[in-house]
Amino acid sequence: MDNSVYQVYEDEIQLLEEEIKLLSDKYEDIQQESTFFSDEEVLMSVKLFQREFLEEHKGHGPPLDLKAELESLQRDLSFLVKFTGIQITSHSKKTLEKTGNRTVQKHRLSGNCQSLPFSLEFQLLEVQNKENVSAAITDLSIAIESGQHSELSKFVSRAEENGNLLMFFRNLSSYAEWCEHRRCTFLHFKAKYPNIVTLPEGQEGDHIILRNPQLPGFELMIVWKMHIDEEGTTTPVLDLLPKVPQQALEQKKASIDNAPACFRSMLLLFGIETAIENLIQVVGLEK
Amino acid sequence: MEEEHNSNEKENALCGRSLTAASRDGGGRMPAAPLAQGKVERGKVYSGDGVLGYLEMLEAQAHELGLKQEEKEQQEKKLDRLKARVQELRARRDELRAKVELQEKRLLDKEGVMADPAQPSAQTVLEWKVKSLKAMLQVFYLTGISGKLTKQGVCFCISTAYEGTYLDSYYVDLLIKPLVKIQRHSVPVFIPLEQIAKKYLQTDIRRFLSVLSDHLNAYVGRRHQADQLEEHFSDHIDGTLQRNSLCNLLVFNYTVSSNSKTFPFNVRLLYGDLCCSLPTEAIISCTPGTLPLLAEMAAAHSNAFRHMALHKAFDSLINAKESQN
Repeated sequence: MDNSVYQVYEDEIQLLEEEIKLLSDKYEDIQQESTFFSDEEVLMSVKLFQREFLEEHKGHGPPLDLKAELESLQRDLSFLVKFTGIQITSHSKKTLEKTGNRTVQKHRLSGNCQSLPFSLEFQLLEVQNKENVSAAITDLSIAIESGQHSELSKFVSRAEENGNLLMFFRNLSSYAEWCEHRRCTFLHFKAKYPNIVTLPEGQEGDHIILRNPQLPGFELMIVWKMHIDEEGTTTPVLDLLPKVPQQALEQKKASIDNAPACFRSMLLLFGIETAIENLIQVVGLEK
Repeated sequence: MEEEHNSNEKENALCGRSLTAASRDGGGRMPAAPLAQGKVERGKVYSGDGVLGYLEMLEAQAHELGLKQEEKEQQEKKLDRLKARVQELRARRDELRAKVELQEKRLLDKEGVMADPAQPSAQTVLEWKVKSLKAMLQVFYLTGISGKLTKQGVCFCISTAYEGTYLDSYYVDLLIKPLVKIQRHSVPVFIPLEQIAKKYLQTDIRRFLSVLSDHLNAYVGRRHQADQLEEHFSDHIDGTLQRNSLCNLLVFNYTVSSNSKTFPFNVRLLYGDLCCSLPTEAIISCTPGTLPLLAEMAAAHSNAFRHMALHKAFDSLINAKESQN
């Protein structure tokens, strides 16, 4: 009997074993993905698990590894969410292909970065090499609620083109932090000078108005836009728009024309907060 | 004990004795006095020694037959085992297929969340949650900054990527109390970690990580471009690509052609901004005297290098060259 007869069976055995592995992984993946237990259910299960374990072992025996692992992972995750400002509200993944040392998974992700909601999908290709696993992103598709942040659209399309998910998150984080900084600054000045400072579009808006109640018709609008270029670098761009009644305009045209330029130099010299503070104080004094 | 004078007769007698002995003992025993064996053909007996020889041959044949029989049995057993295994695996595979199909059907019917008729055990719930948390943490890895809480602080992991490909990741292990300090790290020595730490670590850890991440990503991006150039275009480059460890200075030579004549170009790429993966300067030099001819080409090439990824820029220059020729 020659080996070719065995070979046929052995080949089929190998194929079947691979198929079984794929199917059982798929079964587990679908099981994982389609099940959902709320936080309360998880908490109850933790208590139940602990009680069951204590009953069984009367307090002796090996530590509750599963419970400890769960709590450690929860701590790590909540720290990361707090630290990076990136909160993921829903995440689903599906294995599309798993052959040999290649795995392709499709991920769907949505959440917020500070207060900016995002939603994206991508495919992750992982290849097992001798030493490590290499990962690459393909088919990245990003949806950002533009609304007030229409400046993000160019950056988003560039990120989709390159498939650079990492840079997307890094730059979105940085942009969101700048927006957060702007919001805090506006609120700070509103709280400190409630009579002078108004936020016509609220704290999420991109401008504030400085007004001296004793000088009606005279307003300074500080506009603070966030410019984000294609590479993803965020730059704050501030400008000053004075609004002056007709008579004053004729008298002080020169100084009013100069005001925006002065403001820009102040920004460069003293930074944003000091420049705005100076301006507020000037408005407060003006007679 | 016979006394014979005739050697022939003696042999016959001995033959007779050994024959009897053989028949008494049964088969398979070598004759006590092996005699000269003549060539024996099957079924033919020539002489006394021929008989013994024939016996030997039969023995050997039986032995061989026994072996063959054993081998055949082994082979059949093996075949049976393989067949049984195949059946077993097929059954398991079919069972799994049915399970998965049922799952998928349920998913379609119930639009996602599967109501498990049996009450899941506490352990099942916890295992599910652990898997789910691990998947979430993997997503953080993809965003560039992830980490793990330690007894004394945090160990951050900065991942890097160039376009869609993830490259190396680096660790920074921080102590939190009494002051924020770097206990351990895997950042390469040519990255100005200390400077960055000095500027930001005490006041704004997030900013520290962000700036460090920019440096690391840019370095890894430059290195990746240089590697790609070497990997895909080594036959278009004269000599080797020279680079420093920070990969912010790259020098290489290639040949250009103009009016059917070839000229060597030397490129010196300087990456002045360590947080950027594109060069700030691309200096092209040619042999003295040829510059006036090639000035336009050199300017175009320099421009390409400054605005596109190195391997892509080079690729476009090569293709432009070829289309010219």
